[in-house]
Amino acid sequence: MVNDLGQLYTIEGVAAGILMVVTAYLVISTSTVFTPQETHITDMQLEQLGHDALKLVNTPGEDGTLSILNQSIRNNPPVDFKTPFSQLLNSRIHAGDDTLHYNVTLYYRDGNEVKQKQFADDGSGYYRENAVKVTQLVKIGNDASDPDLWDKIILVEALIWRS
Amino acid sequence: MAKLNDDAQWIVMMGFIVSILILFLAIIVAESALVGKTTSESVLEFPKTDIQDIRSMVFQLRWESLTSDPPNDEYKDDIVTLYLNRKNAIVDYTGDPVNKRISIHYYNGITSYNESYEELF
Repeated sequence: MVNDLGQLYTIEGVAAGILMVVTAYLVISTSTVFTPQETHITDMQLEQLGHDALKLVNTPGEDGTLSILNQSIRNNPPVDFKTPFSQLLNSRIHAGDDTLHYNVTLYYRDGNEVKQKQFADDGSGYYRENAVKVTQLVKIGNDASDPDLWDKIILVEALIWRS
Repeated sequence: MAKLNDDAQWIVMMGFIVSILILFLAIIVAESALVGKTTSESVLEFPKTDIQDIRSMVFQLRWESLTSDPPNDEYKDDIVTLYLNRKNAIVDYTGDPVNKRISIHYYNGITSYNESYEELF
């Protein structure tokens, strides 16, 4: 016998069923598998932070002076590059420093070929961490201690990674 | 005989409303992961920092080498060669000392950037 009792229960049951199915579908489709290749968001933040830090050490403190990076490439007189750069990369608002590491290389043109010089690293070797590369251009005069770099524009390339 | 019990309809209705609201929130959360990923992909792809660095260096050079007569092409060769070798980008810039005009070109296969700059003093 068909009767019209329990209509509200029927509607509730059907609606709850649809809700559960849709919710399950949403939950399954939302969960993105975060593989090591899918690190765009952290890469972007790391690249931005690294570029800001490198740009800051490549900015003169006041008009008519040279930046820390420029002075330290000239090495005449020697200037500490590692401490300010490391500090800029690793300082955090809350307690404890971040664990960013870096390896900085200089690239310069000699005739038609590009040569490189190791410039600075923080002592921890690079293995297979997810790294980003940030660069700055620096103009060097003819008073640098290394004559290879005289009157050249140098590409300072920093490899930055978090361990 | 079973009788349709119509008590507690408020509770049933509030249950419906709350579950629909949760559904909408779930849709928003589902979108946000995708948006964050695609946004950071496009931020990484666009060579903002390269273009800023080139502009900064060209403007640094404009009085001493770019607009000198003859222009100092050593610096330009440095920038062009370094960007071609290390960043796979084609870069060119020219300066016109008489009209105080600078034009900058950058192309890395995906992004093309061209700028003309003229000083009016």
